[in-house]
Amino acid sequence: MTALLRVRNLSTSFATESGLARAVDDVSFDLEQGETLGLVGESGCGKTVTALSILRLIAEPPGQYGEESRIEYEGVNLLELSARDLREIRGAQIAMIFQEPMSSLNPVLTVGSQIVEAIRAHGSESRREATERAVELLTLVGIPEPGRQINDYPHQMSGGMQQRVMIAMALSCRPKILIADEPTTALDVTIQAQILDLLMDLKVRFGMSVLFITHDLGVLAGIADRVAVMYGGKIVEEGEVHAIFERPAHPYTQGLLRAVPHIDRPTAQLRGIPGAVPTATEWPSGCRFHPRCSQRIDRCSTETPPDITTETEHIARCWVATPAGKS
Amino acid sequence: MLGGNTRGKVLGSMSSPKTLLRVESLVKHFPVGGLFGPGDHVRAVDGVSLSLLRGQTLALVGESGSGKTTLGRCIVRLIEPTSGRVSFDGVDILALRGTDMRALRRRMQIVFQDPAGSLNPRMTVGTAVREPLEVHRIARGKDAHARVNKLFREVGLDPSLTTRYPHELSGGQKQRVGIARALSIQPEFIVLDEPVSALDVSVQAQVINLLVDLQKARDLTYLFIAHDLAVVRHIADRIAVMYLGKIVETADVIPLYDRPLHPYTVSLLSAVPVPDPRAQRKRVPLRGEVPSSRHPPPGCPFHTRCPHTRKDERCSTEVPKLQEVEPGRWAACHYAETPMTLGRGA
Repeated sequence: MTALLRVRNLSTSFATESGLARAVDDVSFDLEQGETLGLVGESGCGKTVTALSILRLIAEPPGQYGEESRIEYEGVNLLELSARDLREIRGAQIAMIFQEPMSSLNPVLTVGSQIVEAIRAHGSESRREATERAVELLTLVGIPEPGRQINDYPHQMSGGMQQRVMIAMALSCRPKILIADEPTTALDVTIQAQILDLLMDLKVRFGMSVLFITHDLGVLAGIADRVAVMYGGKIVEEGEVHAIFERPAHPYTQGLLRAVPHIDRPTAQLRGIPGAVPTATEWPSGCRFHPRCSQRIDRCSTETPPDITTETEHIARCWVATPAGKS
Repeated sequence: MLGGNTRGKVLGSMSSPKTLLRVESLVKHFPVGGLFGPGDHVRAVDGVSLSLLRGQTLALVGESGSGKTTLGRCIVRLIEPTSGRVSFDGVDILALRGTDMRALRRRMQIVFQDPAGSLNPRMTVGTAVREPLEVHRIARGKDAHARVNKLFREVGLDPSLTTRYPHELSGGQKQRVGIARALSIQPEFIVLDEPVSALDVSVQAQVINLLVDLQKARDLTYLFIAHDLAVVRHIADRIAVMYLGKIVETADVIPLYDRPLHPYTVSLLSAVPVPDPRAQRKRVPLRGEVPSSRHPPPGCPFHTRCPHTRKDERCSTEVPKLQEVEPGRWAACHYAETPMTLGRGA
């Protein structure tokens, strides 16, 4: 089976006052039909830039894609498409929702008119047909009184309701891929649970693939089929969700899992990872995690680590990870 | 080691277990509107009573708009409450004026969520920590310098960082500076308002561990305000759950997490994501959203979203009192004696 989306050797850099920031550096992954891939990492690891790069939403300049970079969707490299052809895919085939719905919605237009605009941008519906479809979409995402709330302005809605509107808008053209960038981070935990349930339900009903970007390992554990862990602009570990959570092979993934407070395991001592996350203008040499790694060996500071396939058939990019058959 | 065991911690300290802070029927209403007609009020804190033992950590948890931050600020009088009493070590602090209040302020401090926003960008972080020492005339000159260096080491920062400006530090380092600044005047009581919410998880754990260590070393009393129930479980002795300006349940940490009595606590706990794909729990979904605190529902403030099967007429008409259901366990629910159970799925 071929992947719906293939990202190959993606590098995205920015010219900044303090030098070239290589925010995403040689990242490759596949998104399969119908799966949820979780991209997880801490601030500055490159997860959002990866998401934005897929839809070419990075302004050039200051941003710049590496020459080797390829984003293949249905066999076409999105990085080589004309602006007009790209618009046919953006929103219609691949849609995106963000952390702050309020900053993505236009404050002076009603939510209804914004959804109608999204529908008509890619289709041939009349205004009336599009309005009917907008009400259907609002019903689908659980807006309590869609017929009335279609006339509301974004500020009249709570954060949870705004995010539902964003989801309705993203679904308006029945996309095959939904990219969700921290869609529940700004929400309260009970509302977060509602939105996650909604997204997973819609994913199945629409047969979508989801690229879910988050810093929250707890959220990921509940929804992802596969997980890619990012650190320092690179994917450091990637595999099936159970393998990553139960047999993490990269010291960074291991450290993250020990640092997360568990509501079910109060007796486990929390262990932070010493130091702070690095910045994209000054990535450490060799393995970018080596200055904070408790298991580092000499070559970690000078040589880029290889892909190690572990016992649980996932990939860890680390000099000390144990390959399958050698434990 | 961890903040789970109250008894061990209190007996381990030198002082006898006694109440340091007592809050009684605290109310804070903010006026809104009223420009072209009769005004209205946001009932941010609506009749809260609580007490806190010396050396303990009480966590105030709730979602946005629950009133937890306003309550924390009223307690240290950064905001004047509308009515009620706050007594600190037996002194009614709302009655204090001028120098008396200033003297008491030395004993209580607050640490905020956003470390960048609470530090002056044009002041070195060393000066930021030194300033309270001079304002409260605790130390100056070489003595102050030495104290600042010592405080930096205590919070895990290299003293060479004292000459840096906030923007030169990472988020975790800035929050350590915020903590050092709060500690500088040797308070007994610290309000920690979402102190780790803005930090990355690998750094968040460092700061939680630091707060636990400092509490032991200095016999500090914490009011820990947070929305993250997993974080709270690692630091608190006792929990108070707030909803629409009221405390709906309060208990020691272990019984509260093991067997919550209020249906809101049950739902809240079940909504917390668990970082383990095999331990996904059955959620007790809450319908709808938090009502406005300008027009809270009549009766039990939670009845509009309550998933309890025993919910009835009484819930929408009669306000449930916060009452002691079991020794040390208080809940404001008419049916707290027959609590809902927290389902656990495969």
